[in-house]
Amino acid sequence: MNMVRNHVLISIDANTIIAGARAVEDALIKEIARQGLSQEIVVLETGSVGIEDQGVVLVVYPEGIYYTNITPAEVPELVEEHLLKGRVVHRLMLKETPKRFVITKEKTGLMKEQPRIVLKNCGFINPESIDEAIAADGYQAAAKALSSMKPDEIIAEVKHAGLTGRGGAAFPTGLKWEFASKVDNPVKYIVCNADEGEPGTFKDRLILEGDPHKLIESMIIGGYATGATKGFVYIRGEYELSIERLEKAIADARSYGLLGTNIFDSGFDFDITVMKGAGAYVCGEETALIESIEGKRGHPRNKPPYPITAGLWGKPTIVNNVETLSNIPEIILKGAENFKKYGTEKCSGTKVYTILGHVATPGLIETEMGTTLRDIIFEYGGGIKDGKRFKCALVGGAAGAFLGPDMLDVKMDFVNLREYAAALGSGAILVMDEDTDIVDMLKSVLHFFKHESCGHCVPCRLGTARLVELIDRIAASKGTSKDVEGLTRISETMKDTSFCPLGQSLILPVSSSLKYFKDEILARVQ
Amino acid sequence: MTKEKKLSITIDNRTVEVRPHLTILEAARTHNIYIPSLCAMEHLPSYGACRLCVVEVDGLRGFPTSCTTPVEDGMVIRTDTGEIRTLRQEVLKLLLSEHPASCLFCTEQDECKDYQGTIRKAGVITGCRYCPNDTRCELQQVTERIGLTETSYPVYYRNFPVEKNDPFYDRDYNLCILCGRCVRVCNSVRLNGTLSFKQRGKITTVGPAFDRTHLEAGCEFCGACVTVCPTGALSTKTSKWYGKPDKEVATTCVYCPVGCTLKLQVRKSEVLDVLPDYNSALDHGFICVKGRFAVPEYVHSSFRIPVPQRITPLGYNDISWDEAIAEAAERLAGVKPDSFLMMVSPQLTNEDLFVAQQFARQIIGSDQIGSPLLYDLGADTGPFVNLVSQSSAFDVIDDAEAVLAIGFDSTYDYAPIGIGTKKAAQRGAVLVTINSCDTNLDMLSEMAFTCGTEKWSALVGLLTGASAQGAAPLFPTWKKDIAGIQGIFKKSTRKVIIAGPGLLAAPQRTEIIEKLLKVKEKGGWDIIVAHPYSNLKGMLAMGAFHGIKTGAIINENGQAEGVKGDLSKFDLTKGCTVIYAVGVSDLDSLPDCDYLIYQNALPSESQRRPDLLLPAALFTESSGTVINGEGRILPVNKAVEPYRSAKPDWWILNAIGERIKKGVMKYAQVQSVQKEIAKTIKGFPGVKKRLEFSRIDVKMKTPKGAPKMRKQGQFNYRGIPLEAVVKGMKAIEERIELISGSNRGAI
Ligand SMILES: Cc1cc2nc3c(=O)[nH]c(=O)nc-3n(C[C@H](O)[C@H](O)[C@H](O)COP(=O)(O)O)c2cc1C
Ligand code: SF4
Ligand code: SF4
Repeated sequence: MNMVRNHVLISIDANTIIAGARAVEDALIKEIARQGLSQEIVVLETGSVGIEDQGVVLVVYPEGIYYTNITPAEVPELVEEHLLKGRVVHRLMLKETPKRFVITKEKTGLMKEQPRIVLKNCGFINPESIDEAIAADGYQAAAKALSSMKPDEIIAEVKHAGLTGRGGAAFPTGLKWEFASKVDNPVKYIVCNADEGEPGTFKDRLILEGDPHKLIESMIIGGYATGATKGFVYIRGEYELSIERLEKAIADARSYGLLGTNIFDSGFDFDITVMKGAGAYVCGEETALIESIEGKRGHPRNKPPYPITAGLWGKPTIVNNVETLSNIPEIILKGAENFKKYGTEKCSGTKVYTILGHVATPGLIETEMGTTLRDIIFEYGGGIKDGKRFKCALVGGAAGAFLGPDMLDVKMDFVNLREYAAALGSGAILVMDEDTDIVDMLKSVLHFFKHESCGHCVPCRLGTARLVELIDRIAASKGTSKDVEGLTRISETMKDTSFCPLGQSLILPVSSSLKYFKDEILARVQ
Repeated sequence: MTKEKKLSITIDNRTVEVRPHLTILEAARTHNIYIPSLCAMEHLPSYGACRLCVVEVDGLRGFPTSCTTPVEDGMVIRTDTGEIRTLRQEVLKLLLSEHPASCLFCTEQDECKDYQGTIRKAGVITGCRYCPNDTRCELQQVTERIGLTETSYPVYYRNFPVEKNDPFYDRDYNLCILCGRCVRVCNSVRLNGTLSFKQRGKITTVGPAFDRTHLEAGCEFCGACVTVCPTGALSTKTSKWYGKPDKEVATTCVYCPVGCTLKLQVRKSEVLDVLPDYNSALDHGFICVKGRFAVPEYVHSSFRIPVPQRITPLGYNDISWDEAIAEAAERLAGVKPDSFLMMVSPQLTNEDLFVAQQFARQIIGSDQIGSPLLYDLGADTGPFVNLVSQSSAFDVIDDAEAVLAIGFDSTYDYAPIGIGTKKAAQRGAVLVTINSCDTNLDMLSEMAFTCGTEKWSALVGLLTGASAQGAAPLFPTWKKDIAGIQGIFKKSTRKVIIAGPGLLAAPQRTEIIEKLLKVKEKGGWDIIVAHPYSNLKGMLAMGAFHGIKTGAIINENGQAEGVKGDLSKFDLTKGCTVIYAVGVSDLDSLPDCDYLIYQNALPSESQRRPDLLLPAALFTESSGTVINGEGRILPVNKAVEPYRSAKPDWWILNAIGERIKKGVMKYAQVQSVQKEIAKTIKGFPGVKKRLEFSRIDVKMKTPKGAPKMRKQGQFNYRGIPLEAVVKGMKAIEERIELISGSNRGAI
């Protein structure tokens, strides 16, 4: 047996494929062979490693070094320096600065100013300094809420503001809090969902890395409003920097008396624990997440009962997304009316999007609900790269829909998009230019689902397996038109019968790709 | 209790009344409306994995699964629309895409059905080698009901190696549909936790974590997982190719004093398999490995004694019953009462025991009735039977606040008591264990005291408050723990002690028993005794015991003062003229005699060779009753004809007795024996309530010749170790040996 010295993981998913992951993989294998290292170095494909905004990503084990934005040109240097000589290439190593990824007016010379609620401080304050956070209005909303508002006043304000969940399901947050507050139980929990497993999404990570105190503050308010005295933040395990910053922020908040007992002299006690996820997409689903916190296997639970009546350890539990929560301080501080000035009638406020793929300026933006896809791509994203033409965008992550040119001018919010059989989901926007192979894209989406299906229910476990067989055949030009029909039939069955939304939502990418590109797909089969 | 209001719902245009808190599926089933399902099962938490039970409900979006949706008043449900049918077919096709489905669509299907009735596997004829084809495959039934006759996917064979390394059942995960029933029954019903899911998505499988064998993972081999498996993925080694049973006979297990209900699966003259009865109020279907897997191989052992045999210088000669009875009668006639010894097994039925004592007392005129207890327990027999006669009903555990388990482990026996204890601990009762090795209850216990048996008496005294004399210095490191437990016990009102078989291996067992009886009387403790002498209470009640007359120990109106006995004159070394051993097989320990009659089903493993072998029928072959550990009279029902010439024990005793002294017994059938017993136990055998036993005050010296402490430590039935005839029990015995070392304890 050979001694394997290093494993190089290359992340292959929809957006790294667009960034050229296949070419890098080929170059890597060739270069390793050329330098005579094939016996000692193993290259493995892996799904998303949680870094979606930085081109092709490699992880070298056992060191655990992340290299980002790799192109075939850098491969020889990497192989020679790191894999042969054992010297880390610092120039290519992952270095985090949220500022780099937040698209600003200055960066693109945009016409439009972005409203900033969630991302207000991101990139502007030092996230590791609680003093800077406080100087930027941090914890003021919590002070106001705890010292001058009653829980039901807070809930009324959040309800009135019309805030809906940004984790995908768009459930009205005020209503969720109200239900939870009315459940009679001395023990309640509030859980922040920072699992962010949707490929192409990294907004929660940047919010956490850029302004962790805002989340802490929001959870204090949420806990006070609903009667929960214990908070959990469930973070994707790969988000090492987020975890580190959040843990420091929590420790700092404790030392300032902002967490712990009798916060702001209100008699209210609250504390937060950080829990690391193990990288299963389904663990982002709130009940699977709860199982996972309980130390069990990440299977979704039956609903009802919903978490607000029986969640973590059977106690009432409020689960909210990072972005959802990060809106709370603004609502408390400036009032619901102010919040409603942003967005559409049915969905107020802003939405944070991650724009990736073939755009001139990939990155993170916050914009009003109701902004069109055209504005997002052409205003904020700087248009299609290299002057090519727009083909489509995958909106909402892997469980989202492909939107073609006819959708460019639709106002995007959670409610409106539903009418077009699409979903805003996590707010990921993956833009594709005219040269993109749609079959390849669909293939990577279906592989993602197969890999992430938890295996609990029949339609999803076996449906995804059969779908992958079909798409692989089609992609290899060995399929028939019956295989294309099979794609629809299976995903429709999954929509109607799957246990949880993971299996139910696969219909979106399948039916939308067939809606726009049926001819292109059929051209691939006999 | 207030009666809950019924709900009115409409299923497929039929309006019906149902109890609240049911799922739609349960409600439909109570009204005989069929909804296909593979993962839902009574007694298991709902799971919603197979998705075949989808229905439409007015006001609910999409197609909710009926197994997870609770009924509500006024609900309008449709279970069989065109759309639903299509969905079910599509889901089933997906399900079958990774299940070898040849049998479901096979052109030989009809032929296969014809052969399901034969003893050989259908595959021999049809060439199919995929599944046990024991007609229990629910997948076959569901496929038929859903009306699927072809599938659109090629069948993908997952190619998992079949797992055959554990005793009793095989596992072929190629047939597994991941319905999760086994995982749920193991975790939520048996509270065992051997099984879990491994991996994710399509490569998910079931098994113990870290690829251990079931034996290593602490599996009890209760077989619950096999029972609930809807396909052939889990199958019993011995019965899997045998096809369909043609009748089911409910009976009582005689392997221990719990007396679980066993549902014997019978085909012609064979017991193929044994299933639990989840509706049994006594055991809830929580049978252990012995009841589940150790019956068929024992009762159909190829070593069974086929016909009566007489010893000759050249070996045993077959003789007729007539000759055998004549010879026995001749040797017994005129034997002096104190030159006779009747040895009986406490695993016989009441009827057998009653006739045995009648034989000794009325035919021979002798009170020399002994049993293996005397050898196991010697002078401690008296206190021990007294403890047994004072034991409580098992259900005292159900609302106990504190449980102290001494020398007790329920991995391989006493499962209902063990599961009851685990449940109690889970709902918050304080569980404390004392043992010389780890037990399966320790995980749930407040404190597990693991120490040598010689310290148990002191520990029991301290914890229960029976006596603290000089005990404390023995446990310097546990000072705090003991004080803590003492405090809890003092505060609790509903307290139960489980005295396990390990107790019998403690050198000061009598002292411990005395302490237990003391705290029962003064400290408000209930006591459950888990011992290996299955029908010991029956033996005492029938008076098949030196010095105790039939019925004397049954405490009719609570006034009986207790039975006084005197075993001190019982001499187990004194030579006899004739010894008659019924279901007792350790012949080497018996005193010398001129003539030894051995009445049993299997030959003894002893050196000593009896003069006459009489083939006895087993509990599957004759009817009768037993009295379980809590004093209930339970029926033992005949399922098959006795092996070859074997006869029930009472029949043999009656025949010989009649030959010696006509007119004393005259029993033609077991009912006539029961009528005779009913003269002292009113209403026997139909009494439903627990029989109350009075105290036994036996003056005891170790009967002469009985060893002080005898180590045996195997599961046995009628003196024959189960492992000698049941293959898988060997692995179990080795496992116990490994875990407990030499400390297993007597019996
Ligand atoms: C397969 C699946 C994955 C999900 N992943 C996430 C996630 O990564 N982050 C998230 O906030 N919500 C995720 N959700 C949605 C959560 O179940 C839940 O609706 C959300 O956390 C509620 O928070 P909100 O009301 O603030 O949106 C996911 C749902 C499903 C079905
Ligand atoms: S749809 Fe079913 S298999 Fe898929 S992730 Fe949800 S529960 Fe698991
Ligand atoms: S035999 Fe019993 S203990 Fe063993 S795996 Fe099956 S259910 Fe669990």
